[in-house]
Amino acid sequence: MTGASSTPGRKGAIWIVAEQIGGKLAAVSLEILGQALGMAREAGGREVAAVLLGKDAGGLADELASFGADKVFLADDPRMEPYRNDAHGAVLARLVAREGPEIVLFGASACGEELAPTVAARLDTGLGAHCTNLDMEGGGLLMMGVLGFGGRVHTEMFCPARRPQMASVKPGMFQPPPRTDRRGTVVREDVAALLEGEKIRLRAVKVVREAPEGVPLEGADVVVAGGFGIGGKEPWALLEELARELSGAVGCTRPALDEGWTSGEHTMIGTSGKTVRPKVYLGFGISGSPHHTVGIKDAGVIVSVNSDARAPVFESSDYCVVSDFRKFVPALIREIRKAKGGSPGEPSTVPVSK
Amino acid sequence: MAEIKFTQQQDMLRKAVREFVEKEVKPVAAKLDAESRFPMDIFVKMGKLGFAGVFVPREYGGAGLGMTERAIILEELGRHAAGLAMALMTHHLGVDAILSYGTEEQKKKYLPDLAAGKKITGLAVTEPTGGSDVAGQLSTAVHEDGKWVINGRKCFITNSASAEVNVITARTGEDAKGRPAFSAFIVENSVEGFSPGREEDKVGLRGSSTGDLLMNGCAVGEASLLGAEGSGMKMALALFTKIGRTGMAAIGLGIIRACLEDGVKFAKERVLYGKPLAKLQAIQFEIAQNRIEYEAARLMTYNAVGMKEGGAGADAEIAAAKYFATEGAVRAAKRTMDLMGGYGVINEYPVGRYMRDALTTISCGGTSHIMQIIVAGQTLN
Amino acid sequence: MGGFHIVVLVKPVPDPACYDRVEIDPATGVLARQGMPSVLNPSDRHALEEALALQERHGGRVTLVSMTPESSAETLREALAMGGDEAVVLSDRAFAGSDSLATARVLAAGVAKVSPFDLVLAGNESADGGTVHVPSQVGELLGVAHLANVIRLEVDADGGVRTRTRIENGYMEVEGALPMVLGVRREINTPRYTSLMGVLASLEKPIRVLGAEELGVDRARVGMEGSNMRPGKMSRPSFRRKGERVKGGPEEAAARIVGILRAEGVLG
Repeated sequence: MTGASSTPGRKGAIWIVAEQIGGKLAAVSLEILGQALGMAREAGGREVAAVLLGKDAGGLADELASFGADKVFLADDPRMEPYRNDAHGAVLARLVAREGPEIVLFGASACGEELAPTVAARLDTGLGAHCTNLDMEGGGLLMMGVLGFGGRVHTEMFCPARRPQMASVKPGMFQPPPRTDRRGTVVREDVAALLEGEKIRLRAVKVVREAPEGVPLEGADVVVAGGFGIGGKEPWALLEELARELSGAVGCTRPALDEGWTSGEHTMIGTSGKTVRPKVYLGFGISGSPHHTVGIKDAGVIVSVNSDARAPVFESSDYCVVSDFRKFVPALIREIRKAKGGSPGEPSTVPVSK
Repeated sequence: MAEIKFTQQQDMLRKAVREFVEKEVKPVAAKLDAESRFPMDIFVKMGKLGFAGVFVPREYGGAGLGMTERAIILEELGRHAAGLAMALMTHHLGVDAILSYGTEEQKKKYLPDLAAGKKITGLAVTEPTGGSDVAGQLSTAVHEDGKWVINGRKCFITNSASAEVNVITARTGEDAKGRPAFSAFIVENSVEGFSPGREEDKVGLRGSSTGDLLMNGCAVGEASLLGAEGSGMKMALALFTKIGRTGMAAIGLGIIRACLEDGVKFAKERVLYGKPLAKLQAIQFEIAQNRIEYEAARLMTYNAVGMKEGGAGADAEIAAAKYFATEGAVRAAKRTMDLMGGYGVINEYPVGRYMRDALTTISCGGTSHIMQIIVAGQTLN
Repeated sequence: MGGFHIVVLVKPVPDPACYDRVEIDPATGVLARQGMPSVLNPSDRHALEEALALQERHGGRVTLVSMTPESSAETLREALAMGGDEAVVLSDRAFAGSDSLATARVLAAGVAKVSPFDLVLAGNESADGGTVHVPSQVGELLGVAHLANVIRLEVDADGGVRTRTRIENGYMEVEGALPMVLGVRREINTPRYTSLMGVLASLEKPIRVLGAEELGVDRARVGMEGSNMRPGKMSRPSFRRKGERVKGGPEEAAARIVGILRAEGVLG
């Protein structure tokens, strides 16, 4: 198995590994493509390529090319579907060894966070995990920013010697690129040749995707989030009602998730959860631990409501309301309905005692 | 002498117990108190982890540990749910009655289920005519046709509603000096004529059931006699000292710790006059008092337990520890309630429950007055 | 002998409850972790629970392997109190500063040392680093099939493996055969509590310490020297915003917030 080289990558190319979900490109794939294009521009112009592994994926390859990728390496084969780390890892590692890019980016989706270390091990190269920011420094050295200790410590990581420099990127950190009228080249790979000699041991029997309840956090203009201070499933309903009034998504912190008040892990916002960038974020009963705050740092306007005047969350908020959410949320719902021009109606009330 | 320290094993044990209590008991403690409910499901879980038979030898299905480990468990439980700790404490009374005084057949028959927490037991001595005055019991057991027939009524018995195996004392005759003699019996709650009676609505320790036991012509076989005939009083008093008072001391200690920890947390977080309450000297004095009482109660309790395990009588030391830890819990609870101001009297905070639990421990396992009589008796001898 | 030999990779980490205390030494720019008690990485309890459940079902042995300073070896005693037959601690100055691949190299050597093995289980992420790399990379280095994000696991007596792995908004069902390395997510099970009997038994169980020499690892391929990744500047991220206090009771404050909603164009 040929590994990575120690010499600077050929042409200094920046690659992204794209992922498809249900026949569409994953949002994080476009985000890292946007970042790669930005970095390539700033570094004075470098080749940006995308790698796509799948079955009947020609259309998606074209799409990647239309977003600005100079090249799309397409491994289109039934053996590429569904994703398994050995099949994808083998093809990817061999492609990288052959082409020698400078940098390879992965989206840190569930598959990406498994595929990236697999490829890094095969190539004996460095990998920055769940990066929150990337920067190209002089000479093509990639600065990979990672968070540790529940979001409290930011470390700049580098892979000074081995190539390619690899990084997996947290979904929601970057912006997708605009569509262009450029059309990059799609290169169809000989998957059989790339899989030659490789033992594929995993068998994917089924892929099940369930449409999540409620408005998805990603892309929502308004996010209503609750934390441990909400205190129970019954009062949680107030937040859901508020979200409905604003056609917003409902999110939570890890403690609220662990209590079982929310509809699932997909609603958790934080270092080990989702990153959101709504126009307006309204947080209730949240103390403000960095674990959660990291997930909303790029929100437009942050409004926090907490009955404790000294809650740390107020330091990371634009507007701070010191109030019991059980009194404030119904008042807010009434005001919203008045402003929308209807009758205020009566929001559901929740008894104050537990 | 060296510092009094726990072994690595005991520290690991405490950590394991604390983890269980914080995850399983703490979240429902307030509810158990409000509903005055004994949680059988949690008791079964505790049984699986070895709490119910902590000092029962392995051969009978217990954990094979000792009284110090038992005290650790009761302290940790008492820190969050003194009522539930009381139920476990009382269960141990019945368990040790059978372990210490039972025949091999009785031990093999009852201990495995009791040690596993599958069945609950208790010790029923108190009656309307005598609690502190144990000799005032009026229940009788008459030996006729190869059976013992028991009649009478016990009251203020913990685990009354949940115990399947009851250890009951009753008058069976007179001793050489013409004073009443008592014997102990193992009575299963399936015996005809036996039933738990009314359950009391207690001020505190509400996670355990307390109430009457009614025996109406309960006929039990000779194999139900526990220990020698006529030794019931001696047995009960020995159990009260070895198991009852040590257990109450540990529970009182747990309550003191609860008051100390909650008081510290509140003092650090509550801001008044622009700074945390903890900066005020008056508050610091209260915190210091709680700490001092905790340290003293801790040392008295574990020292008394250690002495007893080492074979000493330790009657006075045990009585003193029970007295100090339970009365200390009442003082610590009042201090913490006062420190918390308005918040101290809101039921959303547990300190009111700590106070009610502490007050209730005074009359369990012997009142503070009795404890002082015991200490004075030994001191003046 | 029936049953499998399951190796569980565990790691003591600084107690997550103390993370607010983590400090960066301004002089050296390096983390100050002193004074933070060590606990077993929360994810690893779930891996250990899965191993113990399999042991109960199929028989066999469970060995804990950990790369950690010798001073943290006693944290493994706590894991052994939950279950497991013995622990092997991989400790050597040479291992310090290892990135995830170098760590995987040391762990793979440790697994090889206690081989033969049927299954290696690990928690998917570590509370302080959260990289998720270890299961995949240990698998690659051992040359066996591997999976991360496992949320359900079934193993047949003949070594057939059926798993469910978490993906966005759903799951995949993936099959394989032992030997394998699997990284499990916390939702896979509820770890058992430690019993008194478990604590007693743990004090009799052996904890072996192995250094680089006994493991036979190449010092140039582990530790800082063997790491492809290098850490640079460390800092505490700041998320400060203007923190404007909205005055008044609920109604007054609500009206103000509605004004902001309108200005942001989300009143619809």
